[in-house]
Amino acid sequence: MWGSIPQCQDHALSRRQTLNHRATQAPQLLILLVSNSFIPGICVLISLPRDFDPSLYLWVSQAFLQMCNLPIKVVCRANAEYMSPSGKVPFIHVGNQVVSELGPIVQFVKAKGHSLSDGLDEVQKAEMKAYMELVNNMLLTAELYLQWCDETTVGEITHARYGSPYPWPLNHILAYQKQWEVKRKMKAIGWGNKTLDQVLEDVDQCCQALSQRLGTQPYFFNKQPTELDALVFGHLYTILTTQLTNDELSEKVKNYSNLLAFCRRIEQHYFEDRGKGSSSIRSS
Amino acid sequence: MGTVHARSLEPLPANGPDFGALGEEAEFVEVEPEAKQEILENKDVVVQHVHFDGLGRTKDDIIICEIGDVFKAKNLIEVMRKSHEAREKLLRLGIFRQVDVLIDTCQGDDALPNGLDVTFEVTELRRLTGSYNTMVGNNEGSMVLGLKLPNLLGRAEKVTFQFSYGTKETSYGLSFFKPRPGNFERNFSVNLYKVTGQFPWSSLRETDRGVSAEYSFPIWKTSHTVKWEGVWRELGCLSRSASFAVRKESGHSLKSSLSHAMVIDSRNSSILPRRGALLKVNQELAGYTGGDVSFVKEDFELQLNKQLLFDSVFSASLWGGMLVPIGDKPSSIADRFYLGGPTSVRGFGMHSVGPQSEGDYLGGEAYWAGGLHLYTPLPFRPGQGGFGELFRTHFFLNAGNLCDLNYGEGPKAHIRKLAECIRWSYGAGIVLRLGNIARLELNYCVPMGVQKGDNPEHQHRHLPLLRARTWKCGAPFIPTLLSLHRKY
Repeated sequence: MWGSIPQCQDHALSRRQTLNHRATQAPQLLILLVSNSFIPGICVLISLPRDFDPSLYLWVSQAFLQMCNLPIKVVCRANAEYMSPSGKVPFIHVGNQVVSELGPIVQFVKAKGHSLSDGLDEVQKAEMKAYMELVNNMLLTAELYLQWCDETTVGEITHARYGSPYPWPLNHILAYQKQWEVKRKMKAIGWGNKTLDQVLEDVDQCCQALSQRLGTQPYFFNKQPTELDALVFGHLYTILTTQLTNDELSEKVKNYSNLLAFCRRIEQHYFEDRGKGSSSIRSS
Repeated sequence: MGTVHARSLEPLPANGPDFGALGEEAEFVEVEPEAKQEILENKDVVVQHVHFDGLGRTKDDIIICEIGDVFKAKNLIEVMRKSHEAREKLLRLGIFRQVDVLIDTCQGDDALPNGLDVTFEVTELRRLTGSYNTMVGNNEGSMVLGLKLPNLLGRAEKVTFQFSYGTKETSYGLSFFKPRPGNFERNFSVNLYKVTGQFPWSSLRETDRGVSAEYSFPIWKTSHTVKWEGVWRELGCLSRSASFAVRKESGHSLKSSLSHAMVIDSRNSSILPRRGALLKVNQELAGYTGGDVSFVKEDFELQLNKQLLFDSVFSASLWGGMLVPIGDKPSSIADRFYLGGPTSVRGFGMHSVGPQSEGDYLGGEAYWAGGLHLYTPLPFRPGQGGFGELFRTHFFLNAGNLCDLNYGEGPKAHIRKLAECIRWSYGAGIVLRLGNIARLELNYCVPMGVQKGDNPEHQHRHLPLLRARTWKCGAPFIPTLLSLHRKY
């Protein structure tokens, strides 16, 4: 189980636990890689907010870019959400271009000649898009719901975390503003009246679909990872390793052992091995 | 001046057909024409009563303080003068639409022979006045609605509300003002506002929501204001092509600051003064009363005016300022100084001097600017005595510098930095005075000392030294309730 994690996991989990428990601490600066052979002379920078858990967005895009073999530098800034041209994170800063959200990042990277889904045919590409939509609609919304619409979580964790970089009274004002915004969005997509149990049910169904698609393969489309793998990994890993007031969400995911193994595999291959091999530093 | 009526005992004609019939009154009336003149000369008088007609909600104590001096007058001329001053003071309170003064001899049992009664006939302002304006400027049109409640509780308190709805931004402000009874110059006001501003020279949009409380008081000839201000600032990029340096500043911050300002103003007018001097010194300390922005800011403005021969005026002015961030965080773009434009160094684009990144001007932490101006009447004096008096020809020399300072280097290095690469310009033009609010200038200007990155006007014309100016408006008085303008 995820609770009894092997040695190499302890490091990542303990760091995140520290982040979770000290909810009032200021966002940390995580600098990972510095080399810039992506486009000569240009450094790719991913800026992330401290929302939910910095690593949700961190892991998705970082996984994607590392799967593309692209060196990146990661910086966390409290105002990343406001810096982003579309208001969403993550975003990358390359040269004097700023690209936000996973979709456009994938397009941008593709335009520069790196793509993970070149080996797929049209049918598979369509399938991949469909699954990515599923993950975005289900898992992302469920995470948002749990952060902002579940009263216990909001009161104990989210408000304090979201407002931590700001002084009083701004911390409360911004947290309430964000909560109101998210609740409005939830109503607009029809999740306004869902209960926690219904949300968890939906997550379960989503995980079931993913698990079935994955089957026994190492990645969703057999041997090579694609954008879908990065996306699923990011979401699932975050769910598994973030501590909330209740563990039901992570329990749902843990029910599917192939998804667990999938996450472990990607983490080991792309984050730990890289971490040991190249010149990256992880600050804790 | 108010109306002054002085009644005296009228003499009846010395002879005439009706004289005999008025027997009884005849012995009553003994005054002669000379007696009338005697009263109007500087004869000692005593003001016995001061009456007020027309007071409604205004409380007595505030009135008594303003007219106290009237009782001290010793002769008629002084009574007239003191009454006039009292009338000015009453009008200054801002609670009366009209004040008329009547001076009369005293009647009644306790009347002294040289007793006078002074009566102030006042008309109070309505409880609620509204105004509606439309404003157009800076590629934006807006509708401004104003509401004023003068004399809210009877002691000259004033509540003002202004709401501006524009094509781009919406702003509003609420202000409460209370003077101290008897001492109008000591006053207290609380403001609540939300203003938005767009600064295309920095590709920046700023929204400020704030509350401020200030207290003003005079000391000798100077006027001091102590203010606390708490502002929630939200910065954003104006366009997708904003530079990353500006993008990094986006987001929310909270500034809580204490400031003190001192003003000595002996000029006869704020637009095109003919004589007098102005000195303004302003200090601001942010960070010790909350918020996440910490700095000490100092700036000053000095202006001297002297009238010369042939109705011309020579004016010299100097501004300067410095911003010292406290702690590790660098200064925010919203706090820095900007230079350039028709109100500081002419010949350069608005706020387009100094440190910049990809075309966006970031402002600087220290600056100085100065100008020498000579205002003369229009040549050949067309329209003299009338419309022509609003125009002046204007010769000027402006200079200034703006930079960031590395505070570890020491003051000598700072002075050297501010003294190198000075931007300056000279030129001539015409100034039109608009009431007491603004001035319009049309200048021909030659910018010099242009540094890399600065934006002198009309660079695309490829005539680096000759710049013809289009209309530019220098407006020293912008109503501060609803405008977000860079305070130097």
